[in-house]
This record gives sequence, structure tokens and C-alpha cells, in this order.
Amino acid sequence: MRPVAIIGVGLHPWGKFPQKPWTQMAVEAAKMAFQDGGVEWKDMQALFFGSQMWGGRPGIFGGNSFTEVMGETGLPVVNVNNACATGGSVIREAFISVAAGAYDMVLACAADKSPEGFFPSLPVYYEEPTPSVDTIRWKMGLPNPVFWALELRKRMIRYGVTDVHLAKVKVAMSKWGALNPFARYKKVFTLEEVLNSPMVADPLRLYEICATSDGAGAAVICSLEKARQYTTKPILIAGAGLGTGLYGDPTTRLPSIAVTPKPNVPLISESFMAAKAAYEQAGIGPEDIDFLELPDNSSWHFLQYIETLGFAKEGESHRLLDENATEPGGRFPVCPSGGFSSFGEATVAQGFMQVAEIVWQLRGEAGPRQIKGVRVGMAEVYGAAGNNAALILKK
Amino acid sequence: MVPEKKQIPIGTGLFVWPSDEARLIATRCKSCGDTFFPRTFMCRNPECKEKAIEEVTLSRKGKLLSYTILHFPPPPPFIVSGAYEPRAVAEVEMPEGLRLIAPMTQFDFKDIKIGMTMEIVLDSLYRDKEGNEIIGWKFRPL
Repeated sequence: MRPVAIIGVGLHPWGKFPQKPWTQMAVEAAKMAFQDGGVEWKDMQALFFGSQMWGGRPGIFGGNSFTEVMGETGLPVVNVNNACATGGSVIREAFISVAAGAYDMVLACAADKSPEGFFPSLPVYYEEPTPSVDTIRWKMGLPNPVFWALELRKRMIRYGVTDVHLAKVKVAMSKWGALNPFARYKKVFTLEEVLNSPMVADPLRLYEICATSDGAGAAVICSLEKARQYTTKPILIAGAGLGTGLYGDPTTRLPSIAVTPKPNVPLISESFMAAKAAYEQAGIGPEDIDFLELPDNSSWHFLQYIETLGFAKEGESHRLLDENATEPGGRFPVCPSGGFSSFGEATVAQGFMQVAEIVWQLRGEAGPRQIKGVRVGMAEVYGAAGNNAALILKK
Repeated sequence: MVPEKKQIPIGTGLFVWPSDEARLIATRCKSCGDTFFPRTFMCRNPECKEKAIEEVTLSRKGKLLSYTILHFPPPPPFIVSGAYEPRAVAEVEMPEGLRLIAPMTQFDFKDIKIGMTMEIVLDSLYRDKEGNEIIGWKFRPL
């Protein structure tokens, strides 16, 4: 495996863009990444693309739809779908192909238009002898936040997490998001506003669950040797981990209607495994990470990921909120991008939003959000069905 | 002629039907002793070599481990008839070593207590477009 770097990143702002094709959003993100890296589409030797479920066939074969509008060059296209962990997974596949020496320069890209409100079920065109757990849960009326709320209540009872902690997550995120021109929500929220927002899946309130958005992102990935021809600030991919669940994981995984828990198996084991792989590959641990982009789909995710990734002991992550450690100026910045809380979930694209933020932070180009003296950043994306991708970037 | 309204289970192979009692159909591995729901055609334990499975029905009582109250209507295929009322969903620890997630029925929100005994019952989940009752399992506090 040879060293691999990111030389260009690009984002389309997150929001709702009903008048704009998602392929156009992807093209704009890709063009920004090309310009950032000083390269062109025809320099790309392969394309790794986030396959998205909401747009039917053109979305599932998203990379092919993208090349049709970019201009077909016949390059190899890999469509990747690991649920909401797709963004990080796409970048990892691109990284591995370059690290292995198959290509010198590739494009990783994804775009998404996520449905509003609770995510809906997807059509199934045949009947199985026993319906899938996913089919059953929709008929039972169990949208995604139900699963997060069930897990969160156990945490609140066990560790003394309060409604105020849950609301503080949104407050801290909104302070970062207000500083990011690519974020959808730029308002700074007060504790009262969050606590007065409607209850959705008790104990999770509306502002404690991320919205759903349209968004797109891209990254130009190449060998470090090649990168030096283009930039004096290559950002190294030091570790890229992919994880799936362990047998006996006690989490009420999305989607599940029954869990067979076993002793000593960690919660969100797919995420634990992805982080472990990324740490091992990078040869570093959480103590070496300066800041973190985690998947804050809800306030539960925020609290759980800080512990699963090793930045707090089990049951202690909420104490970081007590000391305002994760917000601008705090001792351990979490989601300086503003997180999904400020962006909204654009399922397969959100990993790119995290990576763009880390690249800008490490280059010292994050403007008013810039954290001083950062050298190593970590990005984690969580996906349904036991998917997770973890990336560690350094300068 | 108005077609007769029927009761339709949410899927085949999930519980004994027709039946007044809720008997969920699960798979037990005779080799490693683990139990899985819904039923499966192979033991899912990666450490288990024999994977000799049998079909069993689950016990009907467990303990409440966690719950949530959903204040907004779930998306289709679930259908809300009339005004939406908040629905509770429970996570229940079963004697077989399983935890089940299902909606709650016949309870008062103020009476929900972690650790309380819950019984599985068959109940209507929603009515489809033809007015048929879609039947599934729910938890009822005892």
C-alpha cells in the first residue's frame, strides 16, 4: 500500500433544490473539487460514486448517470451503496484502488435528494416466504427515530443524561453551522428553543433529530507522489476503516424488530469495528485525534459516537457538553462543519461534507470555523443495516 | 355488494394464524441454544458449527427494557385512519434471551414503568385501503 492524498474537495450547498437535477449538483461539487486540485475530469482514471436509493434506477447507477452528463470517457465506474455510510465507503474504495497502485488519480463523488420527513420504505417486487424485518417494521409503523429513542432512553436511565444534554447538542452544533456557508441551517439556537420544539420520538425532540436535505460532494484522490505535482498541502488518508455489525450486538439496530444480545459485545458494533480498523491502519488512537466529524443523526448518536470512538468512557460523553467542550472555542471540537444537525441528512453524500470540512481545517482554510493547530481529523458515518465507515486524515 | 372486511396478518410465517393467542414463530438452534425471530433458515451464530435448527414459538411474557412515544404519524405502508394519536413502542426482554420491539396497546402513558411485565397480544396495526384489518403483535402491560 502506498501513501494516498486528497488534493481537491468540493461541495454543493446542502438544502432543498427541487428545480435542480441531482446530477447537476454532483457536477458542481466535482468541478469545485477539480478546481481545488488543479485537475480536470479527463485526468480521472476511475470514478467511485455513491449509489442512492431515492432516485430509482438513475440514482442506483448514479456513477453512470454522472458520466453521461460529465462527458463519457469510458472510465471504470464503481457504484457504492452502504446506506448512510456510503460517502465514507466511496472514499475508502477510491483510497484502496490508488493505494494498491491500480490508478494514480480518481474521483470520489456522491449526490443525494433525501425524502422529507421520516424516510419511507422502498418498493419490493417479490414476496418472500417470511417478509423481511424491514417490511415488518414499516407495517408496524416504526420510522428510524423510534430505534434511536429506544436506545437513548436506556442511556438516560443508566447514566443520568437529561433533556438538557440532548438540547445542548443542537445548541453546540448550531454555533458551528452558523459559520459554514455550505450548511442549510445557519441559525444559532437557544436551549429554550430546542426544549420547546415538538416531541417526535420521546425523548427525542424535533431539533434533536437531523432534517433531510439535498446535497453533493466530491474529492479528488491520488497517490502522494502524484499529489506533490499539484499541491504543497496534500491531505493524507492515514486510515480508512469499514465495519459491519458483530453477532450479539445489543443495539436496537435500524431496522430490527428483535435483537439477540451477547455479553461483552459493544453497542453500534459496526461503528466500533470501522473505527478500530481506521485506528490500526493509521497507527494512532483517539488521543492523537484533534477534532471529530461524527454522524449526528440525533442527539443519541452524538453521545454514543463520542464513546464508541474512544473519546470518552462509557456513560460519560454528556459531561463534554456540561463543559461546552465540543463547541467553537472548546477543548475538543466535534463537527466543526455544523454536522448533520446544520446540514440535514443527504444520505449517501454526507460523508463528503465531513471530509471536505476536515480537509479545509487541516489546510487552515476553514475561515471563521478554523480550529487552531489541528493536524489530525476523523470522520465517521453511520448507515442503516449495520454499516459504518471511518476515515482518519492528517497533514 | 360490499366486500367482506377481513383480518390479514402482516406476513406469513411470523405468528400462528388464525389464533386467539399470540404465538410468535421463531427459530431455536439446538446446537448453540440461541433463538432468532423472525424465523431463519440457518443459525446466525458465527461460532456455531452444527447449526441444527428447530421451529419454536416464543413465550408470551417479558420485561419492559425501554420505550418511546411516537408523536408523528409513521410513513406508508402504515395507514393512519382519522386523527393521529401518539403511539408507544416498547423494547421487551424475553426469557429466550431475545429483545423484541413492537407497538404497545391497552395502557395509559402515565402507567409505563421500566421493568414492568409485558404480554404479547395479537392486535390490529392499521386498516388497509380496502378496510381490512392488518394484524400484528403488540405488547400489553400486565
